[in-house]
Amino acid sequence: MDRMLDLDEDAFQHPTIMDDILPEDFLNDDEPLGTLWTRLDSDQIIYQPQRRKATMVGKYLKGETLGEGSYGKVKEVLDSENLCRRAVKILKKGRLRKIPNGEQNVKREISLLKRLSNKNVIQLIEVLYHEEKQKMYMIMEYCSGNLQEMLESVPEKKFPLWQAHMYFTQLIDGLEYLHSQGIVHKDIKPGNLLVTTDGTLKITDLGVAEALDYFQEDDICKTSQGSPAFQPPEIANGLDSFHGFKVDVWSSGVTLYNIITGKYPFEGDNVYRLFETIGKGVFTIPDTGDPSVEDLIRGMLTYDPVKRLKIQQIKHHNWYRKKISRTTEYVMPPPLPDSDDPLRCMTVIPYLEAFHCGEEYDEEEEYEDGEFFVEQPGPSGQGAAQQPGTPSPKLKDKKSKRKKIPVRKFTFGSCKQQ
Amino acid sequence: MPLFGKSQKTPQEMVKNLKEAISQISREDKKGEKASDDVSKNLVLMKTLLYGAGDQEPQSEQVAQLAQEIYNSKLLLLLIQSLHRIDFEGKKDVAQIFNNVLRRQIATRSPTVEHICTQPEILFTLMKGYEQQEIALNCGMMLRECCRYEALAKIMLYSEEFYNFFRYVEVSTFDIASDAFSTFKELLTRHKILCAEFLEANYGRVFDQYQALLNSENYVTRRQALKLLGELLLDRHNFTTMTRYISNPDNLKLMMNMLREKSRNIQFEAFHVFKVFVANPNKPKPILDILLRNKEKLVDFLTKFHTDRSEDEQFNDEKAYLIKQIKELKAPDEH
Repeated sequence: MDRMLDLDEDAFQHPTIMDDILPEDFLNDDEPLGTLWTRLDSDQIIYQPQRRKATMVGKYLKGETLGEGSYGKVKEVLDSENLCRRAVKILKKGRLRKIPNGEQNVKREISLLKRLSNKNVIQLIEVLYHEEKQKMYMIMEYCSGNLQEMLESVPEKKFPLWQAHMYFTQLIDGLEYLHSQGIVHKDIKPGNLLVTTDGTLKITDLGVAEALDYFQEDDICKTSQGSPAFQPPEIANGLDSFHGFKVDVWSSGVTLYNIITGKYPFEGDNVYRLFETIGKGVFTIPDTGDPSVEDLIRGMLTYDPVKRLKIQQIKHHNWYRKKISRTTEYVMPPPLPDSDDPLRCMTVIPYLEAFHCGEEYDEEEEYEDGEFFVEQPGPSGQGAAQQPGTPSPKLKDKKSKRKKIPVRKFTFGSCKQQ
Repeated sequence: MPLFGKSQKTPQEMVKNLKEAISQISREDKKGEKASDDVSKNLVLMKTLLYGAGDQEPQSEQVAQLAQEIYNSKLLLLLIQSLHRIDFEGKKDVAQIFNNVLRRQIATRSPTVEHICTQPEILFTLMKGYEQQEIALNCGMMLRECCRYEALAKIMLYSEEFYNFFRYVEVSTFDIASDAFSTFKELLTRHKILCAEFLEANYGRVFDQYQALLNSENYVTRRQALKLLGELLLDRHNFTTMTRYISNPDNLKLMMNMLREKSRNIQFEAFHVFKVFVANPNKPKPILDILLRNKEKLVDFLTKFHTDRSEDEQFNDEKAYLIKQIKELKAPDEH
């Protein structure tokens, strides 16, 4: 079992054994390095299956890496008690110390998340600590991807209108909740908006969020550490204090602009230039074919924070209330960097198999007929197609892609329903 | 046109037949029985037209015609008024038809919502539905769908009928009481600004009655009401209401008593309301007096309060904060 899976996953790194090519042939070949074939007789192979070792964090069984932030990795995990699919954010103390305000931000995020409960805000399940390893594990709801990576996976870098509408309305609902709890997020952007397998949007990363005092009547804030391209003019111009909720409205406006046009309203070669452009507040909207969304964007990107739309006004806006029929166009989260599984099936499964039946299997006999081996991709040609940054396949490519993940399909055909 | 079976009825015919059948349904004789069958049959036809059958998608042309006919004939009100006479399956069909037509949207317009706004009687009849056991839950389903629309929620909140909810949430049938409570909560929390304005404008009347829920004999009512109170007060939209609530010494006394309730759950919920009184930087004199008078006792009580919640950092932080605050309380200088 182990060997099988390793071949499948590591085929891009390890030379594949080919019997029908003689060494002389390839020595004279001028193919680029990537396509090197090595001939090895079977008796020369010292067979050492690379072990896929099942590791646990508390009651959670670890799977593959879902993403990597500045704090550490995010991995998929499976709750071994209730079989819930979760994600774990692994934070290393050493790394955290090097980031300005790192520890403080994480502490704040945890305390905020603990008291929040809303459909459109990421839920923190629990926090585990490992003193010796100096690690901290934040167990969160599982999401299949964030809007940023979804946008980057398609050439036009934008969503069809209906999909953008579906996410935007949920963003506003989540934001309304955060604001009702006195929390200013301060870092709304596609990269901080996750999507679950059923299309529910979850606002995440409250690392730089600010909780207002219960008894503070207004929403005046004094600090901001959000992403520059999404900051409003009052911050770009360096004002001492500003209305927190209106900062989130502005960032949501930039987000809406971005997911609908594939562009940014304000750009600059560096932060200074960028802030200079934002500070002027002049922008144009490319034609979207929908005047009402352009009107909404203008309302949300109003220079004067007092005149800028409130959440309430956004909810009353025609575009927000509009019903946009779903089309067949749909942007999915791309496969994970080292995988080509467009469905993002549960990556814990192979580890689970390794955990339970790794040694008992007699590989040769079990998989002799090798039907699921047929489409094994070549060593590098296929690998190149999945470099990060290349556009990922949309739904229609599913069939051809599916064949390349035969092992998982063979053993756990039902896992995609998870 | 189907090859076998009867020809398809037009939406107009469906509505007409249904109306006629309903007018006969209360008769005790054979005709009444037949009418009852006809009602059920026509409701199924309508439901199929709206939801589609099997693989067949509903046809938008037909749906539009049916909706228009429903508005013109004022069928919704009639259906709801006669709901108790319709059989079990039929009641469920009515709720499904109602909710489907309600969700209808043409671009930014919701024609059914507009229709109901001109006939608020529909909403009031639905709200009174909680008084009839056999239709209460069906009405509840329709009401919560109505709550999603701000215009409808507003009519309900500002109606006399709203205050009946304080009664409905306490009825002896548990499932009806909890259904009524979820509608009640939805009305008070769904549309933030609307709710905040409503609470401010009707503070006295609402909180007078709310007090009764907090003092209810029924444990479930007490606990749910307390939890909702906490949510309402800690929602920033209700800032004005919160400051008003925590200025009233009677409310503080009530919370202090609830801190000592038998049920740990109620104690815990009460803690989350109580903390707001203490954290308030501008405590009015009556509030401050009560806290000062009970200073020692409170510190002692809080120190021993839910000490087994050692895992809950937030709670422990808040508790420590409250104890510190209370210890530091000083009577204002007398001049």
